[in-house]
Amino acid sequence: MLVIKIWNYFQGYVIIRIEGLTLEKFLNLAVTKDIYLWDINRIGYTTIEAKVRTNGFKLLKEIVKNVGCRVNIVEKKGFPFLLNKLKSRKMFAIGFVIFIGLIFFLTSLIWNIEVLGNDKVSSENILSLMDEIDVKEGIIKYRIDTSLVKNMLLDKVDYFSFVNVEIKGTKLIVEVKERDLPPEIVTKDTPCNIVAKKKGVIEKIIARNGKSVVEKGDIVRKGQLLITGITADEMLDKNILVHSDGEVLAITRYSEIVEEPIEKMLKKETGNVYTTRELKIGDKGISIVEGEIPFENYIEEEKAKKIKDGEKKTSEVKEKILEQQEENKTKKVSSNQEENKVKQIKERNT
Amino acid sequence: MKDNMEKFKYNISDILELPKDIMMDLPKITLIGSIQVLISNHKGIIEYTKEVIRVNSNSGVIKVVGKDMYIKIILVEEIIIVGNIEKIEFLN
Repeated sequence: MLVIKIWNYFQGYVIIRIEGLTLEKFLNLAVTKDIYLWDINRIGYTTIEAKVRTNGFKLLKEIVKNVGCRVNIVEKKGFPFLLNKLKSRKMFAIGFVIFIGLIFFLTSLIWNIEVLGNDKVSSENILSLMDEIDVKEGIIKYRIDTSLVKNMLLDKVDYFSFVNVEIKGTKLIVEVKERDLPPEIVTKDTPCNIVAKKKGVIEKIIARNGKSVVEKGDIVRKGQLLITGITADEMLDKNILVHSDGEVLAITRYSEIVEEPIEKMLKKETGNVYTTRELKIGDKGISIVEGEIPFENYIEEEKAKKIKDGEKKTSEVKEKILEQQEENKTKKVSSNQEENKVKQIKERNT
Repeated sequence: MKDNMEKFKYNISDILELPKDIMMDLPKITLIGSIQVLISNHKGIIEYTKEVIRVNSNSGVIKVVGKDMYIKIILVEEIIIVGNIEKIEFLN
């Protein structure tokens, strides 16, 4: 039994050589005294070798006196003896502890910071921002509050729409997604004009503030003034500048080119479902595998069922795997064109 | 008197279908191929060499003959002998 062997190793045992004429009597006495003996080997006519635990060996001494045998230790084995050996080699033990400590210490540091996905904002800029809240190379990774770094970056840099901070081993990965800056909001106090964005025919114009320049039925070009912010006051000679505001409706045309392949791959669910089960404890999952997934193309659907609520997040996840089949669909070219025509007409109408 | 007691025990265990090794304190010998013998309910070793091992028990002396045998484990109740076992005999 391996378990017993390991237990014996940790308890420590000795290989003893017993010399005498009445060895059977010795063995019987040892057994009645509850001394655990194993691997008893007869070596010669008057000698046997056996293994005994260290605590059993002390008890053996009494029997030895009664029977009249001689016992000497051949070998000491096990963990306690190894420790004794180490005691005489203190520096070795200390070195070993230091070595393990050093490994733990060095792996708990951040050695490298990687910035991914930045284009407009330079990596140095991001690193210097992180440096301000003491996140830099060489700090202990357990002290980093990733959500704090995340929020700080989102707060300080307007270009970021998404920031993910992750610690992988000794590496800190900062993943960002950039976006265009939102247009500047013109405050209601600043005077301005309203101009046409596109070419079109004016249908309706309502000026809430300012004065409308064009009328219904007018054709306007791009950039043409629609509502002016300069209003003349009859009482005063001077013109008043206002923040123009209003609604202008115009008929305009949006054209869009949609390219459609003549042959198209369509993914369709076949209706075949294969379920696998997974036991999740916290973030870690143990999948209970029931063979391989028999489909080549599939989508995974997850359904989590909580077994027990409370602090421990233990849940069984049922993964449904839906089979997908690719279908070739060939469209007729003529019908394709017709469709496009219909689309265009629809767009014109809107 | 003792014989009567034994007979009574035997009958009881027969009627109730109880294992006789427990009721009558008889040895139970388990052989695994010809490489291992387990004798439970033994009453001590009489002889121990590589070729012959004699073990005392309530139903007489059990003599195990073989080659390169050694006692793997010996406990109060059990003894495990490992080696090339050739025969097992009861000596009364």
